[in-house]
Amino acid sequence: MNKTTTNTNPIIKAEGLSKRYGDFDAVRGIDFAVEPAHCIGLLGPNGAGKSSTMRMIMGLSTVTSGSLEVFNHPVQEMTRVNKARIGLVPQETNLDPDITVIENLQVFGRYFSLSPQTIAERVPRLLEFMQLEDKAGALVMALSGGMKRRLVIARALIAEPELVILDEPTTGLDPQARVLIWKQLLALKQQGRTLLLTTHYMDEAQRLCDRIIVIDHGQILDQGSPKELISRHVGGHVFEVEKPRLPKSDTGYQDSEDIGDTILYFVQSPAEFIETLPEDSVYLHRQANLEDVFLRLTGRVLREP
Amino acid sequence: MQLPSLSAILAVASRQYIVWKKLIVSALVTNVANPILFLFAFGFGLGRFIDTMQGISYMSFVVPGMIAYGAAFAASFETTIGSFSRYHMQHNWDAVLSTPVTLTELLLGEALWASIKAMISAVAVLIVGWLWGGIPSIGGALLALPVVFIAALCFSCVGLAATSYAKGYEFFSYFFTFWVTPMFVFCGVFFEIARFPDFIQTIAWLLPMTHLVAIIRPLSAELPIDIATIVLHVSYMIALAVLAFLVALRRMRHRMFD
Repeated sequence: MNKTTTNTNPIIKAEGLSKRYGDFDAVRGIDFAVEPAHCIGLLGPNGAGKSSTMRMIMGLSTVTSGSLEVFNHPVQEMTRVNKARIGLVPQETNLDPDITVIENLQVFGRYFSLSPQTIAERVPRLLEFMQLEDKAGALVMALSGGMKRRLVIARALIAEPELVILDEPTTGLDPQARVLIWKQLLALKQQGRTLLLTTHYMDEAQRLCDRIIVIDHGQILDQGSPKELISRHVGGHVFEVEKPRLPKSDTGYQDSEDIGDTILYFVQSPAEFIETLPEDSVYLHRQANLEDVFLRLTGRVLREP
Repeated sequence: MQLPSLSAILAVASRQYIVWKKLIVSALVTNVANPILFLFAFGFGLGRFIDTMQGISYMSFVVPGMIAYGAAFAASFETTIGSFSRYHMQHNWDAVLSTPVTLTELLLGEALWASIKAMISAVAVLIVGWLWGGIPSIGGALLALPVVFIAALCFSCVGLAATSYAKGYEFFSYFFTFWVTPMFVFCGVFFEIARFPDFIQTIAWLLPMTHLVAIIRPLSAELPIDIATIVLHVSYMIALAVLAFLVALRRMRHRMFD
């Protein structure tokens, strides 16, 4: 794989990007860039505008306003050659259920106009990469959910794409399958490929992403590395203090949130904060994580998609 | 706007072929056995009471009609129930469009495969009808096959246009009731259209089936037909195919991308 890493032009560049369906604004003027050989996470509750953004990048959804460049060209003018540089792992598994694992990959290779030799050479490698060798001849409808997911990822890699877009790649999978997928996605990044992914799992985002874009109601709330976001929004530590024995003063924490029986305190220096707690207070002290950031930024109110 | 690529169109059609091979028994029952059953019913049933129609034996009359109907039914079924399933149930179209294949190429591939299936039906009926003595001129019948293919593309494109408006499977009951069935009963498949009142004849000439039957029957039954007439009928079917394809493309683009 001779991927160019010297090129620092962003692979995706959006400015004022908007998408409107009828009178619903799904994406409202967002600006972001995706640098080559990075993994960027798009996080947000259901209906935040993540999938709409991904569909626009793929050229599967028209841009209502603003500009969107993919591989330095407006997405509206995406050529066949540039389209072949993108692999999509859709949220909904849309494999061909009636044919075998191998045939699914072969059929997809033909959509990319790959030669039969190239396809024949790549299929075994992809099966191995996603640990599906034993299932090569199995019908897709006989596969488990995790195997189907792995096959969808293998399928997206058939044309060796420089940019891989993954819409919730591990939703609904068991921990073993998720660990395998994470390992292989990191391997793809090592090869110099660029990843753009959405997920509802904060551990996944924290593990894979160099940079995270938090999006809600079609707008970007903040972006940065997982570390930056954590220190910016929730400090380094969280104290979950049970009511009613609360801190005696409001010094020592940068923010707090009442979640019912408990109040969360977001704290930079834990030693200082403990001083302010009554001796008999009941609390849990833990590291702040991305989940805290996510809930701080997007709120705790349940969303219906 | 890029020109459609032949390899992309063939990639779409070849995917349908691979799936078809897996389900070949049910596919053949629908597309081959179905028109042949009709042929037997009309041949043995109606054929006993009718000596000649339009001056030829009833078998010579009904076999070319059933070739046309076999093609029309196969093509219409494939680009409605078949295409809608791929688009709506299997989300196969989403998968295809995430590759360099464009919507134009996808729809052309769908129409091409549906037309190939239509030819399988047409040829099966042709062989059975010929063995049964319903084709006085086998050379003429074979000469008509390219026209059957053009007509099949027309039926396929109209099916795609219907699919582009379908919200669910029930929509296709209208399509079959008001499009496919009239083509069976009013277009001279088993009954000459001259026996209908004028306004039904007018409707019949709007349907592509009438134009197809008007070419196959003279060719397979050794009746006189001149080139200009053939060109006129074929032109009508091509025009309708192009119009239907553009409707399907425009409507699907709006539905999928806007």
